[in-house]
Amino acid sequence: METLAHLTGMSVVTIWTLLKVLLVFGFIMAVAPPYTWVERRGSAMMQDRIGPNRALLFGKWQILGLGHALADGIKFFFKEDIVPPHATKRLFWLAPLLAFVPALMGFAIIPFGRSFVYQGSMYHLSLLDPGNGMGMLYPLAIGAVAVYGILVAAWSSNNKWSILGGMRSSAQMVSYEIGLSLAVIAVFMKVGGYDPADIIKDQMAVGWFVWRQPLGFLVFFTCMFAESNRLPFDFAEGEAEIVAGFHTEFGSMKFGLLGLAEYAHMITASGLITTLYFGGWSVPFMPDAPVLLTILAFMVKLLFFMWVFVWVRWTLPRFRYDQLMFLGWKVMLPLSMANLIFNAWLMSRGG
Amino acid sequence: MAVLVKKVELSLLDRSYVWPIAKGMVITLRHFLKQITTPTNKRFTIQYPDMKKPMPAGYRGLHELKRFEDGAIKCVACFMCQEACPARCISIEAEEFSELNFTQGFEEKRPSVFKIDMLRCIYCGMCEEACPKDAIWLRGEYELAAYDRLSLNYGKWDLMNTYAGLDGKLQVGPAQESPATASRPVSA
Repeated sequence: METLAHLTGMSVVTIWTLLKVLLVFGFIMAVAPPYTWVERRGSAMMQDRIGPNRALLFGKWQILGLGHALADGIKFFFKEDIVPPHATKRLFWLAPLLAFVPALMGFAIIPFGRSFVYQGSMYHLSLLDPGNGMGMLYPLAIGAVAVYGILVAAWSSNNKWSILGGMRSSAQMVSYEIGLSLAVIAVFMKVGGYDPADIIKDQMAVGWFVWRQPLGFLVFFTCMFAESNRLPFDFAEGEAEIVAGFHTEFGSMKFGLLGLAEYAHMITASGLITTLYFGGWSVPFMPDAPVLLTILAFMVKLLFFMWVFVWVRWTLPRFRYDQLMFLGWKVMLPLSMANLIFNAWLMSRGG
Repeated sequence: MAVLVKKVELSLLDRSYVWPIAKGMVITLRHFLKQITTPTNKRFTIQYPDMKKPMPAGYRGLHELKRFEDGAIKCVACFMCQEACPARCISIEAEEFSELNFTQGFEEKRPSVFKIDMLRCIYCGMCEEACPKDAIWLRGEYELAAYDRLSLNYGKWDLMNTYAGLDGKLQVGPAQESPATASRPVSA
């Protein structure tokens, strides 16, 4: 590290940050295509099908259809990039980025391993160091920005289906955000701060928040599905009703980016669930786990929740819109309120 | 008459969403685990070009013109099948031949041309019924597709040889008589 810093003329901190940026964003970018593969093959297995397995790498190796992820990527890049004549051009170009960047950015706060001391200096395994003042409020704020991606995509397409999908999905995201935030506030209250490092430390000391606030977890978990526009809440798309919803008019890599945004969003959501309710990188029954083991523990939890996203998608049908709104406003919101008030009451009693 | 819809009363547990969802997720996980641990050849899906389902015994697919042990054609060009054919897809031209030997049963007649237009054929099996010599069979081969019409005009040697390879018998005969059939690969 020191020699690298010396060679490039940058400080160690800069290099470490750059390394982390590459690592984290590279990880999300690298995991998203295999994630689509997991989704397709996993869904196939759940439905007693085989799933995609025909794409051969170099015409030779089938490797369980992993070539499909690659082939999809290549296809996206080489397809004609059509901007429909009736679309608002600038926004149409901007929309995939607006969807993708917030989904990626949310991950920045999530610590993926234990901070460690090396040669007298502290290294933190999260993009934003602990004590930055934003804490877990940051991904919530960024998650709210993700609405713009979908709404702009829908609006700029100038297509009725897109508008319908975008409008109802933004309504959904906005209404579920409240329940989500209230559920998280209960966690903040218990911890006494909203820094992920504090939250994880508290969970290591007392216990994971799933056990301490199962109701809050349930609300948060459900709202995360709504936030990342996944089934059973994928109202942005709804192929049976409104063609493909907000990305009806998108093609080639723009469409690919929108799809990637969804998967990046799911990865970030899994990271949030892991950090807030499953102890982040903490290894159960090992308070002083080595750094690599903590990274492994985080990865295992993250991958499990990524799998749960797929699992739930292929188990549940889509809600009807009024059911969704009912669930959001009349179930999730009161539940998270109750959770908040109950925890506040417990704390006032010194619990 | 109006259909009376019976309203299902859900229990509190069922209305909570959580329990039914958990049940559903267990079901999908069970299917997932079962399917992923089943070897490919035991799954429901038959991965067609790689795996083929054996056709049932009575299946009526592509015809075979049967041969004697020594490879000579059994058909005596009696035109019974041509007469019986409701789709009129068989066209036969007979020829005389004099190399009498025992296995051929002292026949003096055989087809010089025996064509079946597979595009016309309805695979009804009437030719098989009509044949007095048991010389034409409808068998299991069903991959009959081609890029042009001529390729599906199967000649005598096509009909004699297609199954010979599958049955592990020697394929005998001159080069294909119709020009288009030459490009058709004989399935093994």
